[in-house]
Amino acid sequence: MLALVDVNNMYVSCERVFRPALVGRPVVVLSHNDGVCVARSNEAKDLGVEMAQPWFQVRHLQRQAGLVALSANFELYGDMSNRMMTLAAGYAPRQEIYSIDECFLDFAGVRGSLSRRGRELRAQVLQWTGLPTSVGFAATKTLAKLANHVAKMADRKPGSYPRELAQVCNFAELSPARLEAVMRATDVGAVWGIGRKTRARLLEGGLRSVFDVMRADPVALRRQFSVVLERTLRELRGEPCLGVDEAPDANQSIMCSRSFGEPVLGLASLVESVNGFAARVAEKLRSQRSVAGALQVFLSTSPFRKQDRQHSPSATLRLTPPTADTRLLAAAATRVLESMFRPGHRYVKAGVVLVDLQPQARAAETPDLFGDVTPEPAARRDRARLMLAMDALNQRFGQGAVDVASAARQLRHHAAAAKQDQRSPRYTTRLDEVITACA
Amino acid sequence: MSSHDGPAQIVRPLPDGGVRKPRSSVAFSFGSPADDSGIGRIDLNDILIRHAQATFLMRVAGASMRDAGIDDGDLVLVDRAIHPSHDHVVIAIVDDGFVCRRLVHEAQAMRLCAADAAVPDLVIAEGTELQVWGVVTHAIKSLPV
Repeated sequence: MLALVDVNNMYVSCERVFRPALVGRPVVVLSHNDGVCVARSNEAKDLGVEMAQPWFQVRHLQRQAGLVALSANFELYGDMSNRMMTLAAGYAPRQEIYSIDECFLDFAGVRGSLSRRGRELRAQVLQWTGLPTSVGFAATKTLAKLANHVAKMADRKPGSYPRELAQVCNFAELSPARLEAVMRATDVGAVWGIGRKTRARLLEGGLRSVFDVMRADPVALRRQFSVVLERTLRELRGEPCLGVDEAPDANQSIMCSRSFGEPVLGLASLVESVNGFAARVAEKLRSQRSVAGALQVFLSTSPFRKQDRQHSPSATLRLTPPTADTRLLAAAATRVLESMFRPGHRYVKAGVVLVDLQPQARAAETPDLFGDVTPEPAARRDRARLMLAMDALNQRFGQGAVDVASAARQLRHHAAAAKQDQRSPRYTTRLDEVITACA
Repeated sequence: MSSHDGPAQIVRPLPDGGVRKPRSSVAFSFGSPADDSGIGRIDLNDILIRHAQATFLMRVAGASMRDAGIDDGDLVLVDRAIHPSHDHVVIAIVDDGFVCRRLVHEAQAMRLCAADAAVPDLVIAEGTELQVWGVVTHAIKSLPV
């Protein structure tokens, strides 16, 4: 049995923990030089603000409806994410962190009521961090993601689903008749991996609800659509087809993480792992023609080894200007890792997450894409070519065939920061920006 | 505000109207660092932080908690994992701001009290909610050197 744990409106929820006045108000978080809405509170969704909608299109709602816009604060979100992920990891034998605000938990071999565990997890994360989550349980990743969707919608829009499915929804505990009712009430667009175009084509074919798709013929779907959709269908029918790391890419973050076979104590081998992760995420980033504005690294000891000293840090570094350069990303990751590594701890997991993703074209407009490392346009072109060549070699000869030697010196800090006028303080990562309490 | 998903814990008087005994002395409970890992210097994280994922730093502004050992400008460690109860020093949300006060819970009534008689108590009226953000576990003060 799998669970998908996900923070509701992650970025907005992080802001609300430290700014109670934002609770109950429509809030959006902006990224890309304050140009695009990348997170919305439920109230903002109800106002009709769409995901990734340009800010200028909804700016008028500030006056008309009291919409509050904040600049993205990725240091804060990275730290809060790490707190949530570390707590979630204690609930199941295996955790796969999927994005900055979602993880899969694998409960294979765990007995007892999973729904109750889910509720305990949710309550603990809410009390300890202030972040509200939704938890969906099911037999496959695609179903768990869908159960999570139901848990969230049942909470947000009373009446959309039975009330007892709110917040924590376990498909395995529903009778066949009730599960069918849920699937009939759910639009195919809610299914993981079914995008707008596919949804439109499915609608043309008369497949509107998840239930309709589940009854479709897998072979016909493959012929008309793709192997991917066939796999989605099999997953919806309860047949696990997506292994570790085989999920559709998350929208707003790219990550690579791994649990180590043996606990790792030394910095050198962690640096090596993290450099490998950085190379992987950089390649994924370039394949979607994006650049990243911030990079997070996390490390974790095992919550199940109570005798061990626990240390599960994470840190986020802003990348100014945003980059997709493997060498810069690897150097950034190394620097972050070195800053938080503590000798004497048995680390069992590490990962690299890229956030604040933006289209490459947009970033190319900013004058110095690669900063003062390679200021000449020709050199910049060479750098881009180098990256393409690396990706090609790695695809041909296997991941890691060509790698970046740790090049911390490549990393430069730039004063020319992105526009983020409305950024809240970095409450948990900068001592001079912590909350002030009046006495 | 829908209390169940807010960032603060809602505290209500005990249903039996019970009065928890005030503690006669302050008992510090330090974390328990693994004792047999055999490596390293004493680590303040181990000593000061019991619930790492639930612990946050805040800066105190104002002198009304001085007699409780918390001075203007002190850093405090706030632990959200601890359930707030009588006599805890807490960070509460009052008028959307953060306030450091002692939580007093007597005879079915709850109050937020400063350690300064000149500062009036904030009495939590029946039917209203007290939002406690977290419990203060330690105060860190810098001495002039």
